[in-house]
Amino acid sequence: MTDYLLQLINVALVLAVSPALVGLIRWLKARMQNRRGAPIWQPYFELRKLFGKEVVVSDTASWVFRATPYIVFASTLAVALLVPLVRIPVPVALGSDLIVVVYLLLLGTFFLALAGLDTGSPFGGMGSSREMTVAALAEPTIALAIFSLAVGAGSTDLGRIVAETLNAPTTVAAPGHLLGFAALFIVMLAETGRLPVDNPSTHLELTMIHEAMILEYSGRYLALIEWASGMKLFIFLSLLANLYVPWGIATSNDPAGLAVGLLALLGKVVVLGCAIAALETRLAKLRLFRVPELLSVSFVLALLAVTSSFVVR
Amino acid sequence: MDSLFSQLTALGSSLALVCSFMLLWRRSLDSFASAFTIQSIVVSAVTAVVGYFGNDSDLYYVAGLFLLLKAVLIPYVLRRTRRRIGALREDTPYVNTATSLLIGGLLVLLSYVVTRPLVVLSDLPTRSGIPLAMGIVFIGLFVIISRKKALTQIIGFLVLENGIALLAILGTYGIPLIVELGVFLDVLMGFWVMQVFLYQIDQTFDSIDVEQLNMLTEVTIRPADRVSGGGGA
Repeated sequence: MTDYLLQLINVALVLAVSPALVGLIRWLKARMQNRRGAPIWQPYFELRKLFGKEVVVSDTASWVFRATPYIVFASTLAVALLVPLVRIPVPVALGSDLIVVVYLLLLGTFFLALAGLDTGSPFGGMGSSREMTVAALAEPTIALAIFSLAVGAGSTDLGRIVAETLNAPTTVAAPGHLLGFAALFIVMLAETGRLPVDNPSTHLELTMIHEAMILEYSGRYLALIEWASGMKLFIFLSLLANLYVPWGIATSNDPAGLAVGLLALLGKVVVLGCAIAALETRLAKLRLFRVPELLSVSFVLALLAVTSSFVVR
Repeated sequence: MDSLFSQLTALGSSLALVCSFMLLWRRSLDSFASAFTIQSIVVSAVTAVVGYFGNDSDLYYVAGLFLLLKAVLIPYVLRRTRRRIGALREDTPYVNTATSLLIGGLLVLLSYVVTRPLVVLSDLPTRSGIPLAMGIVFIGLFVIISRKKALTQIIGFLVLENGIALLAILGTYGIPLIVELGVFLDVLMGFWVMQVFLYQIDQTFDSIDVEQLNMLTEVTIRPADRVSGGGGA
């Protein structure tokens, strides 16, 4: 019973904290660029405002357009249920399989691309086509980076992988581990629409990928999508943190351990968020035709990660 | 202790390998020079680590000299040359960037295959770095054959040399100091000679694009001219 309760608290945590993470990254970026910046809790206000607004839907839109926000939100919530956040093993016995997690996240991306095409606006179509290009190139990298971890742990279960790394602390500095981290970090930037690949803070038509797809959304639909993309960012960051630097995560239901696990998770996510803010301040957006090259860098890194974990084994 | 040693050398070798991938991914000649500098620092650090764990104090001198030569002197000269020539970017390599990166990955796989017998037989704690060092050698060679600018090719050669140095350190715990000194001198001489060639190419063609060398075709000259104008070109 406590297990299920804990898992629900996990999901509630992701729901509650993810807008703050988005706000934190925006605030840090503003500070680094010598602007004062909106407060960290600004995204909460934006969500409340959007939920209060009416929804405008194009006449040509089909059911796909209306269903997509719910599918995106629900699939991201389902992922929040499966990943190890504060405690391992993940309590609910659904199996926290890496492959399930990654493809649930991609399900949302797929429906967003469909919805972008659905309204028939040229921007939506352009955004969908770009998003699919990026997703198709990011896909093999994610698979390879996963395998490099799974080979080390002998299982694709996220909880098992984390436990395995906890048991053998020296593997953290192993080359396969570091290369895999770098590869997954680059893919994370691409998948969550962060800077060198996509610009999350602009509606300037030529630079956008993710923003172009959701251009037609308004009101509560937009709120759901924005919230889901915040959660996706939080989940990706906590996955990176827990898979590659698992220390602090709780291994039992002991309250003190859980508190430490929670603090460790938030600390690690904040550190990664700072890294993203610093990167986005320093880097310019890549030209679209350079994006495949960046993704092939991450593919090669993942390939090297897999080979070196095989050899070490 | 041994596991820490092998972890550190494997880590250093992978970092050095990632630096050589920077040569395939970046385009500006200055970033090539920085990648080479970082790689040299990493290789020198690996040398010092091998010296510490292998109880060989000579290797500290080798590491120091390596740092001085390849992380200070040669990058300085490279940057100065780049400024004097004014060439900025490697814009149109023979093989495009994405393909180069994939080929680089395949070359590393190849080096795993090639060094497999060596790694299986050896019981050195440094053995896991050997395929990576071999990969650096292959990538250096690939840079030389797939890039057009003479300066990039020189950096490719230097990276290849770094790979060989790393291979020597990991495979044999370093060769005697006197041999290392000879190798350093060779590298320095080779580098200077290439610099001279570079200036000649730049002066003759007003560009360091080696494709221009194709314009050097033989012209039929009358015997009388050949006597007076010998050695020209």
